Amino acid sequence: MVAHSRGSGSAGSQGRVAGRFNVPRAARVEAHADGTPLEVNHRRVALVREEWRVVDRWWTEEPVVRRYFELVLEDGENTVAFHDGAGGWYTQRGA
Amino acid sequence: MIACLSIPGLELKAALRRTPSLGLRPAALAPEPQGEPLLGPVTAAAETAGVRPGMRLGEALATCPSLALVEPDAAGAELAWEEILRSLEDAGIAVEPASLGCAYFETRGVERLYGGLEPALRRALAAVGDEWDARIGAAGRRFAALAAASVARPGQTVVVADAELPQFLAPLPLTLLPLERGRYEELEALGVRKLGQLAGLPGGAVAERLGPDGRRAWSLARGGAAARVRGRRPPAAVAASLEFPEAIGNELTLRRALASLVDTALARPERRDRFVRKLALAARLTGGGSWRRTLTLREPSADPERIRVALAPRLAELPAPVLELRVELVELTEPMGHQLDLLAAMSSSAGAEDRTRLREGLRQVRASTGSGSVCTVVEVAPWSRIPEARALLVPKDE
Repeated sequence: MVAHSRGSGSAGSQGRVAGRFNVPRAARVEAHADGTPLEVNHRRVALVREEWRVVDRWWTEEPVVRRYFELVLEDGENTVAFHDGAGGWYTQRGA
Repeated sequence: MIACLSIPGLELKAALRRTPSLGLRPAALAPEPQGEPLLGPVTAAAETAGVRPGMRLGEALATCPSLALVEPDAAGAELAWEEILRSLEDAGIAVEPASLGCAYFETRGVERLYGGLEPALRRALAAVGDEWDARIGAAGRRFAALAAASVARPGQTVVVADAELPQFLAPLPLTLLPLERGRYEELEALGVRKLGQLAGLPGGAVAERLGPDGRRAWSLARGGAAARVRGRRPPAAVAASLEFPEAIGNELTLRRALASLVDTALARPERRDRFVRKLALAARLTGGGSWRRTLTLREPSADPERIRVALAPRLAELPAPVLELRVELVELTEPMGHQLDLLAAMSSSAGAEDRTRLREGLRQVRASTGSGSVCTVVEVAPWSRIPEARALLVPKDE
């Protein structure tokens, strides 16, 4: 895999620094009243293929609470978006 | 302004086109064959007799023994709705269908065309026609337009100015909000029965008591967020149908018919080499009903085999023998290339040369972009439910 130059996975001369893979990216999402996405990054959602929730690390100070949607956008792209329960929307690969 | 066109009970009206005389008698749309025994929309005569949409079949027949049940005509209703949307589009109105019998459109563009808001809304009603009892509500927000349409009488338009919005929404029932049944009951138990009562509560308290759904409902009760209306792309009209000499219930025969229909539809010149994204499989059933299922493909395709494999399982859902089977290519996309498999070639012994080339290519990338620009993906916790915790990007410097 070729990362973006000087990206998160860049290594210094002392050693290799691993970067995170499939990091969520902030997305602009318009949602229906029931919370299902209507538009993702200004592209309309043609179909919600699947929906699931992830609740993890609840025993830590940074619990993970996410509502995921597997979507097909109107231009044919498949994407996965999630809502983090705090008002933020993100897209993510590998979900 | 945003306008909402509403046709309550469109499914029943479409089904009654076959037997118009039932429209004046107590009649209701029969429950779906494989669903719960709940009634669909009902006629005015049935409503007068005490029958309500969503009532249990047994209860409805006990309330009104002369109630006539109308076989659902799902395909007929969808076709009728499609005709209505096309009529609106022919009048220059870009519509965004929300559900069967409910569509939104932005009035700004057509106001200029027809000389004002009222004439534009009248033109939209005229495009739909009298037989559907359509009504239109218009307001600055989408939810307010829906609320306005819900109080309009057949053939009427109701326009709500922004300044009047709180007073207009206040006396309307909570059932306009997209909430689960339990939530309505919870709100009623708290003495909240109207939108105005809900809107008057502090947002934080509503969110604390009812969670995010309640917060959204509270926001809608205050008019809702300003959301744009986006006109749909009119669906493609490429279809193929096959009428059988007698009703067919045999799945093997239906599968063969489906295969032939998919080939025919894909060969239609109107498709113009475009790929299929969304399909519909419809059937006219013995006994007068109809059946329709739509399917969106994960990737657009023009491969008949793939489309057949995707559609064939739907045949098992047919509730009755079929008189006519129809395949519609509902949405088409431009042709696009397919990503070739790089790694499969590399894993074989014949891929040694590819591996050398790849290594050389990566060396050049590293030389031009610097250390750390070429990484490998290393799985560290593939079992994790958090996708970004499953693997790391590790720089590959040699």
